[in-house]
Amino acid sequence: MQRIEAIRHMAQVITKDDLVTTSIGQTWDDWWNHKPADNTFFTGILGSVTPTALGLAVSLPHRRIIAIESDGSVLLNTGVMCTLGKERPHNLTVVVIDNGIYENIGGPPTHTSFNTDLARMAEGAGCLNCVTVRDADDFDRHFRRMLDDGQMGYLVAKIEPFAKHQWEWKDRKATDGIEDKYRFLRYVEKLEGVVIHPGAVQN
Amino acid sequence: MAPNEPSRETPRYAQLFIEGLKAAGVTVVAAVPESLLAGVYRMCAKDNALRYIPVTNEAELPGICAGTYLAGKKAIMVMENSGLRQACEPIARFAYCHAMPLVMAMSFRGEWGERNWWGHNHAQTMEPVLNALRIPFRFIARLDDIKPAIKKAYYHADSSNWPVAMVFTGECVEVPAYAKD
Repeated sequence: MQRIEAIRHMAQVITKDDLVTTSIGQTWDDWWNHKPADNTFFTGILGSVTPTALGLAVSLPHRRIIAIESDGSVLLNTGVMCTLGKERPHNLTVVVIDNGIYENIGGPPTHTSFNTDLARMAEGAGCLNCVTVRDADDFDRHFRRMLDDGQMGYLVAKIEPFAKHQWEWKDRKATDGIEDKYRFLRYVEKLEGVVIHPGAVQN
Repeated sequence: MAPNEPSRETPRYAQLFIEGLKAAGVTVVAAVPESLLAGVYRMCAKDNALRYIPVTNEAELPGICAGTYLAGKKAIMVMENSGLRQACEPIARFAYCHAMPLVMAMSFRGEWGERNWWGHNHAQTMEPVLNALRIPFRFIARLDDIKPAIKKAYYHADSSNWPVAMVFTGECVEVPAYAKD
């Protein structure tokens, strides 16, 4: 399975009513071109994608939250698996795009290319519905189930290293982290009918 | 409260801390429990109005608090000052990459009179690290200052789009056993 296939499957299921966090890397450009709306917080911090999604999930329990992770990001902060295993937020689905390499920097292997199994780690940490998939059909089936089963899910998608699909420069994600924050924040304000960041008070 | 944990009198500083959180509208408390703010963690764990999320590592805290903020709610990250070093990278990234308001509370391990050899480095590095990150901070040492400080911390963070830190010491933390004489 290529990464773009997993992204396309997610784009068919994730709606404008869902909220998403994504890991830094080439996944950004894939999701940038497939996201249904500004309902994604492009988290520019390896290791903080799942924690940010956890904060969203516990604060908006009525809404589906999806964390699109990478193996490199998960490996940087494995402790949060244990926190997820304790909290088990019913509305959170974590999808780890696991290509086994640090592709952005040329492809040195991550530990998942050797003996590390992220789904088994998550299961051992107490997470629910921890599954590894290797083909697009399995990915689609498990992802759809996890989004709607009312339980947390932890889906590790083993994908082929070195993506065949590359975006042209003009089609790559165009925003920086501050614009990303405001786009997402304003989207949540409309979606939830709340004010998160008001203007300045007078005097 | 965990099974077999002895019940203890709720310290005044912890009561005021919780009252301050609620007055500020905080709903999520994410923390790495430690000894100097022990009363705060105990009360949070028992309070149904707060979602208390103990974590394994301070580096989890900024993300949880950022996610809560982006959901339109308020969170606080609580830890010992040693945790600042552990959480440095995500704090810096959330601040500099995303202009994210974060409110953190930390106990001041290494206060004047510290008798643990391992505690001094926490105090010695805390202020330089906060200054290096350009994070505004205030020491909170008197009980009367707890609630106003928490309220203002959210004003400051939200209007500046930047992290702020409250450093609790003096009357506002547990008294170490060695300091009671």
